[in-house]
Amino acid sequence: MPDPKPLYDAVLTGNAQEAKALTQQALDEGVDPLVLVNESMVPAMDEVGRRFQANEYFVPELLISARAMKAALDLIRPLLASRGNQPVGRVAIGTVKGDLHDIGKNLVASLLEGGGFEVIDLGVNVPPEQFIATVKDRQANIVAMSALLTTTMPAMKTTIEALKQAGVRDQVKVLVGGAPITQKFADEIGADGYSENAVGAVALAKQAIKA
Amino acid sequence: MKPRERVLNFLEGKPVDHLPCMPITMMYACKQIGARYRDYCTDYRILAEGQIRTAEKFGFDYVNTMSDPAREAADCGAPIAYFDHQPVALIEDQALLADKAKLLALKTPDPLGGGRMHNGILALRLLKERVGNDLIVEGWVEGPIAEAADLRGINTLMTDFFDDVSFVHDLFSFVVGMELRFAREQITAGADVIGIGDAAASLVGPRIYQEMVLPYERQLIEGIHSMGGRTRLHICGNTRSILGPMGSLHATIVDLDSLAPIGEARNQMGPQQILLGNLNPVTVVRDGTPVTIRAELAECHRAAGDRYIVGAGCEIPRDTAEENVAALAQYAQSVTQ
Repeated sequence: MPDPKPLYDAVLTGNAQEAKALTQQALDEGVDPLVLVNESMVPAMDEVGRRFQANEYFVPELLISARAMKAALDLIRPLLASRGNQPVGRVAIGTVKGDLHDIGKNLVASLLEGGGFEVIDLGVNVPPEQFIATVKDRQANIVAMSALLTTTMPAMKTTIEALKQAGVRDQVKVLVGGAPITQKFADEIGADGYSENAVGAVALAKQAIKA
Repeated sequence: MKPRERVLNFLEGKPVDHLPCMPITMMYACKQIGARYRDYCTDYRILAEGQIRTAEKFGFDYVNTMSDPAREAADCGAPIAYFDHQPVALIEDQALLADKAKLLALKTPDPLGGGRMHNGILALRLLKERVGNDLIVEGWVEGPIAEAADLRGINTLMTDFFDDVSFVHDLFSFVVGMELRFAREQITAGADVIGIGDAAASLVGPRIYQEMVLPYERQLIEGIHSMGGRTRLHICGNTRSILGPMGSLHATIVDLDSLAPIGEARNQMGPQQILLGNLNPVTVVRDGTPVTIRAELAECHRAAGDRYIVGAGCEIPRDTAEENVAALAQYAQSVTQ
């Protein structure tokens, strides 16, 4: 087994070029891609999350680490898919209809990906129909919605209602977050979970999958 | 004592009858006159009417021209999206400076050139004409990192801090030049105070903030002060790790969002810094009751000390109950000095 530290460090410090090169080198040497994920990348993103939570890392550091992880994952993902390896879970994530503010959503998406989830990022201003289509077509088992504005929060409820109407509400766990969102609001609209920060969202998603 | 006199006296450390009250209202003010928010953002007469009606109804000491973060970016040519009932927003995947090279050719827009900045100045003039003798009239500019994020795309700007520091410096320099020009026209139009919104500053942490953002915020604030203007610095989000540097800017007012404890701000910014706000606009102002709001305000005031202006930590949500909004001014009026 190769030393996991160099790839771990490359992800932790946000060195995408290095992360990609180390991953390619390891794969060329016949290292199991899952070992790279489990021994280097997931622990590195766990540490990124820990540092973010502890105010040692901030948004720029988190985003460059996520970029490094993605550079490595781009090489690994096709190999895992061809072997039939399943992700921890499949998340359809987006900002709700009417909301174009995506940085919080992007932080959550990065950490979920770092936590072993397959993340289907639907982007911003996502209508309920798009969430529904992703649940049906891509077998997403988590719908994660973000809103920054108090005026777009109601779109979360609309989306949950639409998931019910489409008959897929029971197939997915619905997680919500964003600056104006509260646990009380999440409960009122019938969401399955709420986190006030990106790190907590990963733990929440893992819990939701087990439930 | 008229509200304007109250605030100006308070800022100068002179006696006042009671605490000033200067909460941010935008969509809430629009709702007071039953207008579409799209029109509030694009028609200065509607903005002025909403602000005046709100200030008079609830006993606020000021009116403000802020409606959304996209005035300057729009005039630079950035693609923006309009909505009937929520703020104008930048379209990040079409960011004006997605290609960094475009910065070299980017011209500072004329604040009186008929665009959205001009609309803001017309609002200011109208507010000054209608209520300028009685109320504080506050203008608004975007801060260096907030406006840079609007032009470049916030996600991209965050990685630029590692990928291309010199570009970030060039972009911040452009922004500060533009905002100083905008601020000068607002002061000429009668602004008593210039608000500076620099939301993204709370995302970058103390190292990047101090090395990259603070020097440009300082240029902007000192520039406005040198024009004879007063400043209100508002950084949305959690500013706990940058409170000390923020205090070193000596903005006339630091309008503190709810995630940073105001007692820490007081300790780090010193006894003379005027602090404003700090209530959670959603969980306290919108979801609370007049009783809980007054209790939270009393606690903020206690932690902040005498140099405190009543307000929420950020914009008052549109669906806040009237009695909750009224509780803000009621508290301010109850604290005689």
